[in-house]
Amino acid sequence: MASEPQATPTGPATAPSVRQPTAQWARGPAVPVASVVFALAIGAIFVLLSGHDPIAAYIDLFRGAFGSPYDITETLIQTIPLVLAGLAVAVAFRTGLFNIGAESQLLIGAVAAGAVGARFADLPGFVLFPMVLAAGIGAGAGWAAIAGYLKAARGVNEVITTIMQNYIVVFVMHWLLQNGPMTAPNALGTPASAPIGAGAVLPIIIPNELVPLTRLHAGIFLAIAAVVVFWFLLWRTPLGYELRAVGLGARAAAQAGIDPRTRIVIAMAIAGGFAGLAGMIQVTGVFHRVFDGFSSGYGFDAIAVALLGKNSPIGIALAALLFGAFARGGSIMQANAGVSAQLVSVIEAVVLFVIAAELIVRVLTARRRERKPLEAIA
Amino acid sequence: MIGARPERARTTGATAVGTERVPLLEMRGIRKRFGDLQALDGVDLVVNEGEIHALVGENGAGKTTLMNVLYGLYHPDSGTIRYRERDVRITGPRDAIALGIGMIHQHFMLVPPLTVAENVVLGDERGGPVLDDRAIEERVRGLEERFAIAVEPGARVEDIPLGLQQRVEILKVLYRGSELLIFDEPTAVLTPQEVDELFAIVRTLREEGKTLILITHKLREVMAVTDRITVLRGGRNAGELVTKQTTPAEIARAMVGREMKQLKARATPPRTEVILDVRGLEALSDRGSPALRGIDFEIRSGEILGIAGVGGNGQSELAQCLLGLRKVAAGTIRIGGIDISRDDPKRTRARGVAYVPEDRRIEGLVLAFTVADDFILGKQDRPPYAANGIVLDPAAILKAGGRLAVEYDVRPPNPRAIVANLSGGNQQKVVLGRELSERPKLIVVSQPTRGLDIAATEYVHERLLEQRGQGAAILLVSSELDEIRALSDRIAVMFEGRIVAVLDAASATEERLGLLMAGHTEAAA
Repeated sequence: MASEPQATPTGPATAPSVRQPTAQWARGPAVPVASVVFALAIGAIFVLLSGHDPIAAYIDLFRGAFGSPYDITETLIQTIPLVLAGLAVAVAFRTGLFNIGAESQLLIGAVAAGAVGARFADLPGFVLFPMVLAAGIGAGAGWAAIAGYLKAARGVNEVITTIMQNYIVVFVMHWLLQNGPMTAPNALGTPASAPIGAGAVLPIIIPNELVPLTRLHAGIFLAIAAVVVFWFLLWRTPLGYELRAVGLGARAAAQAGIDPRTRIVIAMAIAGGFAGLAGMIQVTGVFHRVFDGFSSGYGFDAIAVALLGKNSPIGIALAALLFGAFARGGSIMQANAGVSAQLVSVIEAVVLFVIAAELIVRVLTARRRERKPLEAIA
Repeated sequence: MIGARPERARTTGATAVGTERVPLLEMRGIRKRFGDLQALDGVDLVVNEGEIHALVGENGAGKTTLMNVLYGLYHPDSGTIRYRERDVRITGPRDAIALGIGMIHQHFMLVPPLTVAENVVLGDERGGPVLDDRAIEERVRGLEERFAIAVEPGARVEDIPLGLQQRVEILKVLYRGSELLIFDEPTAVLTPQEVDELFAIVRTLREEGKTLILITHKLREVMAVTDRITVLRGGRNAGELVTKQTTPAEIARAMVGREMKQLKARATPPRTEVILDVRGLEALSDRGSPALRGIDFEIRSGEILGIAGVGGNGQSELAQCLLGLRKVAAGTIRIGGIDISRDDPKRTRARGVAYVPEDRRIEGLVLAFTVADDFILGKQDRPPYAANGIVLDPAAILKAGGRLAVEYDVRPPNPRAIVANLSGGNQQKVVLGRELSERPKLIVVSQPTRGLDIAATEYVHERLLEQRGQGAAILLVSSELDEIRALSDRIAVMFEGRIVAVLDAASATEERLGLLMAGHTEAAA
């Protein structure tokens, strides 16, 4: 080895990087999968502590989610809003923003869709549906853009504004729907709006003869389309490139002529549009009206979905399916095995915990690398 | 192992130099491998007692790895270490400290809210369980007097500048009784004045009988302060030299492994066409105080105007104004006669302005992007990268990335490589490739070779001179006077937001520039 002649002087430039393996490992699906497995193991301990059989509980959980065609369609119904809200978090994340407000963007989209759908209930579907769609997406986009504008123009932290926006929408919905302007005249105390017009209702896509009583609606196609749009937008358009550049290096983007401020507003508007679409789909596909408190916190689960899915289109779809299965399977497990459906929340929390821990580890190792300059390795 | 390489330039054997002295430290045949990379391939290092020994080499030559082996942070795959004529095994920093080896790290390891004295004694407080602040301060003061190192022991570390923080690091090491002090790139974070002060301390330490190893790649510092030099290249010894008997050129040759190219002298004079014309430019700093107080200058086609000045006298703000990154409070910036002082960066760049920013890792590049993606930053909405401005063409981006990577000598020339994983020199080549490949009219260049090694610096300079030859106007901001003097046709000195003098490169001696930079306009005239 020692006598090996040193070839033409190549200089330091050829020193290969030894840092890449770790980085690539972190980019793969290893961590999300491991975190889910770990979370299931922790969950099993809690099931044991509550005096039940964890294996049986998990079998019930799985059966509840995928045990029959009907169960699968119910799982998918839960998955649809999670996918869309997950995209809402991810678009912002890719632009370097933490969108905690997917919940309020989803709710406001639902309110707008429900209001338009009820107010113009008599219009034919080919007019009404596009109106309702535009209302849902537009309301979510406009609402989220406010947080983006405050960040861009005034430097207000978007985490704060989006959290506050959540409260605003929740309470405005109380007011609208509990004996407020949107409350159905014949509601009889139910905090709900009048039903939307038949033309705005998303059709059931599986015939009753095939899967009896199924509620699976055409919103699933909208969700799939949204995943494709997300991918195309971010990786196949100049705008998406700009959003990613701002997210990964705002100052580099700025000096290259990409103004981060406008891109922040655009990213939030797109995020809100995805979430608003989620709300619109819940109204037109599932409830056919707006209920106060109809969302079980999709916008918050969406944060976990986006993180678990590493803000990638396929990852988000899979993570949303997992969380959808938890939501559907958890209630069945509670009914059958007597294990509280809260177990699902425990598992979701552990998943988040592990993902967050991985982020922390990555940040810490990145810092350590900073401390030891390249030379320390090469 | 070592003898098998007779081609190695070995000016002097360790025993031939300073024969009256005993080797304090003898490292022999040190090897260390990281994955595919043989970081150290049988390196020898012999340091005599009471000398200042320079350990030099390009980035990646193995200097820091070798010192981390000595300090016990890495365990060598093979090789021996003798210290005070005894074979030693150093398994961790604790062993090294026990032997009397101390390391002053490039990035300080201090606790900011604690006082200087507390930091010095941290981990080795001595005395009872109750900390006696006064006694500690006295002990630290005693140390300071002996080695002529001035820092107020009661001051909080977070309140003192970097140069003084470094002294705290030195005191820490001395407090633990170190006889051999390793300085890892000690001047990287210092101002020129702080460098002089550090060198005074370093000389005092030698007079007090300490032995010092200085890791660096700055030849000026090697020549100024060291006694002997060990050169590493590619993880092997590339020469042992006695400072008094060598020249910077000889050291550089050993470091790079070939003759340094002579920069082609400015063969052609600047042309007559004025590209950039700046009149009465004023702008505020981030804190709202005046940063530019009426700047006038012009740069012609094929001319390099160097901007000299102590950092923080408005150079960064000037560059930002030219790019449209900073609001212009008053005055005009004309490119080919058109005022661009109100334009944003996108429109400014459309006028043919290119920018090589000061901090390539933050401002120049999106580090997490691939090489190909970083090459198109700012051009992402134009053909061929975006067909009709709407849809990106990944194949075209990759193809252009591969071509530019080869053209600008990015190693490895892989357009899919993540930029963060490249060395500093290769990162800068990505910036150059992006900024220079479209025939810019004006190139604003800020600290283009900061942190780069000799070969990469040479490359950057060649490329800039090539642009000059093609008729570009170049504004060069640099804190390296040598760089400014070597490249510029004219040199403007900035002081407190004004250009206090514009000199012809020929008449700009270092002394004159130094006086002007310090604000002594009359004395330098």
